[in-house]
Amino acid sequence: MTRKQTPLRPYFEKMADIGKALSEGEVRRSQENITLVQEQEQILALEVERVKNAGIPAKKIHERGGMTIYDRLDYLVDAGTWSPMHTLYNPRDNEEGCTGVVNGIGKIEGKWAVIIGFDNKVMAGAWIAGQSENILMVTDMAKRLNVPLVWLTNCSGVKMMEQETVYAGRRSSGAPFFRHADLNHLGIPILNGIYGTNPAGGGYQGISPTILIAHEGANIAVGGAGIVGGMNPKGYIDAEAARALIDATKSFKAKDPGRVETHFDHTAYFREVHDTEKGVLDGIKDYMRMMPAYDPTMFRVAVPAPPRFPAEDLNMILPANQKRPYDALQILARLTDSSEFMEYRPDYGREVYTGIAKIDGFPVAFIGNRQGVFPGYPEYANGTYPAVGGKHYRQGLIKQAEFVTLCGRDNLPIVWMQDTTGIDVGDLAEEAELLALGQSLVYSIEQTDLSMMCVVLRKGTAAAHYIMCGPQANNNNAFTLGTPLTEIYVMHGETAAAAAYARRLVKEDEAGNDLTPTLDKMNQMIQDYQEKSRPAYCGKTGFVDEIVSLTALRKYIQAFTGANYQNPKSITPVHQMLLPRIIKG
Amino acid sequence: MAELTSPINGKVWKILVAVGDKVELDDEMVILEALKMETPIYSEENGTVSEIRVKEGDAVNEGDVLVVVT
Repeated sequence: MTRKQTPLRPYFEKMADIGKALSEGEVRRSQENITLVQEQEQILALEVERVKNAGIPAKKIHERGGMTIYDRLDYLVDAGTWSPMHTLYNPRDNEEGCTGVVNGIGKIEGKWAVIIGFDNKVMAGAWIAGQSENILMVTDMAKRLNVPLVWLTNCSGVKMMEQETVYAGRRSSGAPFFRHADLNHLGIPILNGIYGTNPAGGGYQGISPTILIAHEGANIAVGGAGIVGGMNPKGYIDAEAARALIDATKSFKAKDPGRVETHFDHTAYFREVHDTEKGVLDGIKDYMRMMPAYDPTMFRVAVPAPPRFPAEDLNMILPANQKRPYDALQILARLTDSSEFMEYRPDYGREVYTGIAKIDGFPVAFIGNRQGVFPGYPEYANGTYPAVGGKHYRQGLIKQAEFVTLCGRDNLPIVWMQDTTGIDVGDLAEEAELLALGQSLVYSIEQTDLSMMCVVLRKGTAAAHYIMCGPQANNNNAFTLGTPLTEIYVMHGETAAAAAYARRLVKEDEAGNDLTPTLDKMNQMIQDYQEKSRPAYCGKTGFVDEIVSLTALRKYIQAFTGANYQNPKSITPVHQMLLPRIIKG
Repeated sequence: MAELTSPINGKVWKILVAVGDKVELDDEMVILEALKMETPIYSEENGTVSEIRVKEGDAVNEGDVLVVVT
């Protein structure tokens, strides 16, 4: 008789239950919280809608018989798997209201890919400010997750009127071509569906991927055919020069270079040419079926199962009031398979939890801040003050660094759940070595070759935002999510105002002066901090890769996990894992 | 009878009930403030507030009785 099972079944099949159903009282008193969360979601939804409507109306593209980038993605990506990224990203506040590329993670033909395409409604996919940073974040994501990058190229090249914002510089629009070379070098394939006219920069967008599949009307070329004039000896355009330009343009008959008859028939750069836009996407799907991917059975430690509690509870559990504590494991219980968690050293470093959970049956590590007050802790304070959740203390920092190191050994991808106000400060904290221990955690992260994702549930503050694998962890952080309750700043606005103006207040007070002007400045600063830390601002500036609703968090964690286990570069045999044994003791 | 005690050293920031109020399990009764954090104190049973032993602004220690519900 054949018998089969998942590995280390005694450890993973049934782990410790966490969480509990919300009581009637909790539900009753949380209704206002739901409203506050929904208010933020509405603000974000309007912003997303604005970005989707950027450029010319979709109707115009449809009237020409074309597809928008959103139509293309809708056709290409497996239903229910699209997890958009960088939707609101627009760090230079472009007049277009976006960076002209649409991207995210999704499955194509059952396999995870990082997917990006030019928004052909926005200046025919021109290079605009902030776009190259957006693309670099995307190529980094494909590199970190080791999954194919899929491009839908439709790029008219530099927006001429603003070339100085895109063309030159270390991380400018040329950098993605080097990233494509890097991905190819690392064995990460890039599939490219090519539409429309792609001259110059667009040409390199076209040629730099691994597999090129073209629409019949597409071209890729070193330069466009549209430049009918150039510099003239006068150094300016006068009526005579304008007349010459008009005549030349009128008589200009040349076709765009690099068309299908060149790059399919002659050079054979294009693997396929399709006479329909959907045909190109079908070609991408065909190649996606060829991409390397393990069957999930290879790495699953249990049968996938949803959490035992509804995701909608999250809108009641996570307080919009940033000064309110909550039970962090109640959050985790709405994210992990069967609401189970194998916690590592729960009695040590109580301000953070560390441990292993299952996501879609795959083992995944979680690290997060606990909230509330911890009397009698930290031990080095000798009772002079209690620990508060969200802050980091000696034991918690040691525990996290130790856990990350062991995750590296066991090849466990890590999900960080940040809601942090910083690391403990003061002489006692310095004597307790918190400065070095914070950096030790950074060192531990960097020493692994693990993929990590970070969720800034509410606060991402001070150095703690960095050490908990914030987006600054360039080599490990695949992406960072914010929520409708996220706030990211170096410190709370009130703390910052006090730090900046306390001495001045003393001075004015001693001089017997009116304090109102200083108080006005302090309150203005608090307001400014508030406006520049809210979720939409975090998304626009790139503090996070995407703001997602609390109910969508598990979907992104599933995408992260599935992508990690699709084609891992390094494998720890499950039966040789150390962490589950250490936890069991 | 249930005596609601302070879990921490802190200050009474807000008292949300009055003597004679009917309360239900998990109703918010008192909000303490400590270390810039709010710590809400919830009713542990259905009943009537029979005694409030603190007033807003009071400093309280861990274990101090705040409210009595009968």
